[in-house]
Amino acid sequence: MLDAVEAIEGEHYFDRVVTALVMFSVIWAVLGMAVGVYVAAELIWPTLDFGQPWLSFGRLRPLHTNVVIFGFGVSALMGTAFYSVQRTSHVPLFAPRLAWFCFCAWQIAVLLGGLSLLAGWTSSKEYAELEWPFDIAITIVWVCFAIVFFGTIAKRRIKPIYVSNWFYGGLIIVIAMLHIVNSLAIPVTISKSYSLFAGAPDAIVQWWYGHNAVGFLLTGGFLGMMYYFLPKQADRPIWSYRLSIVAFWAFTYSYIWAGPHHLHYSSIPDWVQSLAVVMSLILLAPSWATMINGIMTVSSASQKLRTDPALKFIVLSLAFYGLATFEGPMMAIKSVNVVSHYTDWTIGHVHSGALGWNALITFGTFYFLVPRLVGTALYSVRLANIHFWMALAGTMLYVLAMWGAGVSQGLLWLSLDEIGELSFSFKDIMASMPPYYALRFVAGLVFLLGAVLMTYNLYMTIRGRRTIHVRPPAVMSHQI
Amino acid sequence: MKTVISSWLLFRLLFQPTAVFEELSDTRPEPHSVFFKFVVWLAVIPPVFAYIGASNFGWRLGAAEPLFMPPGELILVSIAYFFALLFAFVSTAVVAQWMATTYGARHSLGIHFALVTIIAAPLVVGSTIHLFPHVFLNIVVFIPALMWSMYLLYRGLPIVLKISPERGMLMASALIGYLLVAAVSFLGLTVALWGQGIGPSIGV
Repeated sequence: MLDAVEAIEGEHYFDRVVTALVMFSVIWAVLGMAVGVYVAAELIWPTLDFGQPWLSFGRLRPLHTNVVIFGFGVSALMGTAFYSVQRTSHVPLFAPRLAWFCFCAWQIAVLLGGLSLLAGWTSSKEYAELEWPFDIAITIVWVCFAIVFFGTIAKRRIKPIYVSNWFYGGLIIVIAMLHIVNSLAIPVTISKSYSLFAGAPDAIVQWWYGHNAVGFLLTGGFLGMMYYFLPKQADRPIWSYRLSIVAFWAFTYSYIWAGPHHLHYSSIPDWVQSLAVVMSLILLAPSWATMINGIMTVSSASQKLRTDPALKFIVLSLAFYGLATFEGPMMAIKSVNVVSHYTDWTIGHVHSGALGWNALITFGTFYFLVPRLVGTALYSVRLANIHFWMALAGTMLYVLAMWGAGVSQGLLWLSLDEIGELSFSFKDIMASMPPYYALRFVAGLVFLLGAVLMTYNLYMTIRGRRTIHVRPPAVMSHQI
Repeated sequence: MKTVISSWLLFRLLFQPTAVFEELSDTRPEPHSVFFKFVVWLAVIPPVFAYIGASNFGWRLGAAEPLFMPPGELILVSIAYFFALLFAFVSTAVVAQWMATTYGARHSLGIHFALVTIIAAPLVVGSTIHLFPHVFLNIVVFIPALMWSMYLLYRGLPIVLKISPERGMLMASALIGYLLVAAVSFLGLTVALWGQGIGPSIGV
């Protein structure tokens, strides 16, 4: 027992890699969102591509999604996973050099991957556009991420594995499985490969990947973030720990089946579509169980809102999480999907999740985390409060614009004339969309400017400071 | 404690929202009096405007001709709109009352009816734009109305329900969560009804 205490006294958590990941996550957020605003502008003023292939919508759109999801999102998840797994296991990171490798290799992969998309390399699979050399690189980094994360859990000093680690662990395992299977391809040249799957099975595999990337990365991963940082910020234990574990297993079991709802009314078997509808509806239960758990945890900690601007972001992110996880199953119902499919309603749904849930919870976490990493107070609480209202306004405007555009599109391209032919051509309908797209452009700009404000605020907080050393707490003998 | 709310209160809301909230915080209105004195009338306004607008100008979605519905069907849709608004109102008030236990707020149903009436008032004012039912124009007008409404919610809720501003912020955000879900349910239900042949005719 004495030996153990001495060992604890000499060690500290490895947080420098966390700081680096958070900083790069913020940089990718601003870059990725800026590209998003640019492509939104291109939909209003198409000549903004200046005749350059690399500036065309077709190349910039995957750049936007990849930079935001893999640059901003995964860097944030990796950073917060490294931070929280040490503290919930009461040990420093396993293999810290490997953690640094994960950080460096991931940033290089996102940078070069982004450039390859601009150069026109694409597998044409949505959210998996990167070509085979990057797929292999991503697999290697991901395995290293898994070794660091699970290695830390394996050497933990307290017996229970806290629920945030279940979600982060689920993220690592499932994304590895999805990425490897969906990326199976035959390379032809360095920049081109062809999927191992053909036709309808290829589409099913792609959306099994696509939907579960949303599920286990953008939902599960960020739930891991929520389960660690929300109780920390609220200074309360999670409202119902049992509910969180039940929700985790229900979520893991039901999410994996729901992907084919992306392929309603296509050539995949009808029973596969119906199964996806049922599983999508079931998914509502674990999603909302988690939302209720979060809301109830924070409900008794209102006094924290006086001093901590970060908590506001997390509270609001839960409201948008509730919206997105309800809207998704609803849009999976075939009689709703018949109108919503192939319209901007889908884009609105994605952004109510991406802006309202993922970005807001990450912003809240960063406002909490960065001052603690460098051992100081946040540079400006006022700027953070302004950012909060900008983020809320941007998200609401975005969602409203896309609801209006999407429902109009759905109605117009199903309209029939007296002899049963389509009333409007695709071109006519799209020609009526610029007002909505202008509104969406303004929404994106407001959201982006809020993120720029956060970047400045966090930069001024970090400037001239080093990551402080935090020691693991002394461990009671019964916990070892 | 007063049990009756003056009709002037809604008009004063435009200029002196804080004074109105404070007056309401000392009032214990009866739910049925709020419902029949304010809610029913406020809920009639948007469907009437929508009926007048849609029958005279047709719904304009931006592409080609405006969409006209047969008069009988338009009346049915407008009546359905009225009942949907009543349902939205009552359900929001009941949900707010349910949440009040968690946040330690006032629990009487009447005060929640009054609070939701106030929050809904800017949207009723905004519904004037239904007189010219151009979808994009309606969205553009409803955005400031919604911002006004959300301002009243965040500012008014803690005063009327007598809780701290921080608790008010949490409860208002939870209520926003419910309202977002209710709004999208309404959208989904409407679209599903189109597929069943109710509303504009689409090729499904």
